[in-house]
Amino acid sequence: MPTSILALAHYLPSEASVAGVRRPIFSEPGGPSDLALTAAREALAQAGLTTDAVDFIIFATMTPDVTFPGAACFFQDKLQCGTTGALDIRGQCTGFLMGLMIADSFLQAGTYRHVLLAAGEVHSSGLDYSERGARVAALYGDGAAVTLLGHAAEGCGLRAVVCHSDGRLHDRFWCEYPASRQHPVRITVDDVRAGRQFPTLDFDTVERFGREHLPAAVREALAAAQSDVDSVDCFVLSHILPEVAESAAAALALPRSRWINAGEAHGHLTAATLPVALSEAVGDGRLGKGATVCLAACGAGFAWGSAVLTL
Amino acid sequence: MRNSRILSVGHYVPPKVVTNNDLTVYMETSDDWIRERTGIQERRYSEDSVGAADMGALAAREALERAGVDATDIDCVIFATLSPDVDMPASACVMQARLGIGGILAFDVKNQCSGFLYSLAIANVFIKTGRFDHVLVVGSEVHSTGIDLSTRGRDVAVIFGDAAGAVVLAPEDNPQRGILSTHLYAEGQYAEKLWLECAASRERPRITEDMITSAEGRIFPRMSGRYVFKHAITRFSEVIHEALDTHGYALSDLSLLIPHQANLRISQMVAMGLELPEEKMFNNIERYGNTTAASIPLALYEVLEAGRLRENDLLCLAAFGAGFTWASALIRW
Repeated sequence: MPTSILALAHYLPSEASVAGVRRPIFSEPGGPSDLALTAAREALAQAGLTTDAVDFIIFATMTPDVTFPGAACFFQDKLQCGTTGALDIRGQCTGFLMGLMIADSFLQAGTYRHVLLAAGEVHSSGLDYSERGARVAALYGDGAAVTLLGHAAEGCGLRAVVCHSDGRLHDRFWCEYPASRQHPVRITVDDVRAGRQFPTLDFDTVERFGREHLPAAVREALAAAQSDVDSVDCFVLSHILPEVAESAAAALALPRSRWINAGEAHGHLTAATLPVALSEAVGDGRLGKGATVCLAACGAGFAWGSAVLTL
Repeated sequence: MRNSRILSVGHYVPPKVVTNNDLTVYMETSDDWIRERTGIQERRYSEDSVGAADMGALAAREALERAGVDATDIDCVIFATLSPDVDMPASACVMQARLGIGGILAFDVKNQCSGFLYSLAIANVFIKTGRFDHVLVVGSEVHSTGIDLSTRGRDVAVIFGDAAGAVVLAPEDNPQRGILSTHLYAEGQYAEKLWLECAASRERPRITEDMITSAEGRIFPRMSGRYVFKHAITRFSEVIHEALDTHGYALSDLSLLIPHQANLRISQMVAMGLELPEEKMFNNIERYGNTTAASIPLALYEVLEAGRLRENDLLCLAAFGAGFTWASALIRW
């Protein structure tokens, strides 16, 4: 039986004005595990299941609660999941798609029956809100989504997921410090004073890479699913620069009614961007049972990927 | 469904050896104290901006050479580390660039001392389900840039060392061979019993000058040693038994146990509890300290070099560490 989304929920903190835009900002102390907790409880309630049914947890984030252990362990404890295995992955903007691929592999191998896939980010505590950093800071928001994955009857479920990375340009869209390769100490007071702990983007390179790889990822996933643009009800496209998602939609000749610009409403939520947008579309009735969806993202790493699934 | 198996193992340890006596320059400690509590005699520290990805690439090259597999035949890279080269992106991406294999899937796993076994479990199902044929799993850590070398941090700092290990996994058609099963666990209620707090996205902001200069050492790993020790012994035994029980094996069927090298005293207590003869357990923590995600592949490399593992042997890999997380894998070599 194919891997299927049994339930899906998201949580966005309340909006605040930062760097001149309204964004969901988690202003209380707390990390992505806290944001994901609310979404997880809702997803389990939707499925009519308790944590006893969860065999494995995957948490995709680039902004873990603490340096180590990973956010999955904090999330696992808050959700009271006993000793259930909890995996943390770092896959940047495609973290959700990588998590989906890992969950699918465990489910199809028969290792687990239900996998809880969380994707969450708290960016706001790590952004440069000074004039120098405002252009980057304005791009991001905080949020989380949780997907309960299991088996479903033929006719629905995951039909293809593809993921790629290429680290040759890793320093064009990165957050350098703390950096374990910096000897003798990963981060110093001077590094913090110089603002080396903030993410930076080479906008031209990030945009150029996205324009090429985001539509390419969609085409590859469609081919792997033996599908085509016309068979998909909705495309959910994610890129830190919303105009890149627009260019991908144009390259694929998608009518405006059939695609969602995932980062537009709340800013870039990195690993959480795709599942939050999907959860919103399901929640407000834009997408219903039986709809075929293509998700795609491209971002830091660089990494890019896409999935085709029927709800 | 096919199995997966470990085709080859590679390793890299930095050349700089730091003995227990060397550490007495920075902190109040002694060779006797460290040996008695941990069994460690020396460890390695990387230098000159060498990061986890650089060391991982060297270990990976050796593994690829030994497997007779071209880097371009690798379908996926899984990189286990809690000390990534940079905050973002993943060290897997940095390493794939070093190996000249841009374009394939590459991501990091952050599961501390169990990171290598969590990664091995993922690689195993990627291969079992036919998604990929060749997966490169790397465990690599540069701890030396993130430990408190003053007297305040000595309980933790003396334990850790830098190293990298890598394995190449490939399909195995014989259902009785290769990785037979993996077992993954976590218990987040003890997350703060062995942890490194800052930078922390749950703080506002994530990293400050005060955190760096804080009296409690918030940018360094901290440990409640007694908790870790007690839980490690229980969980190691449980997860090793589970691996054997799953396949109807007894401890006497086991050819070799390679535990994550956390502390020699933990390994010895586990062996005693299991009534496992000394020759059926491999330890090398004396020479490298605790190298977290790198410790199991590094130990496996030395086991193979020493000719201590033969075809058809039953091998158990087991880990316990921060999270808490723990795991095992049972392998018919």
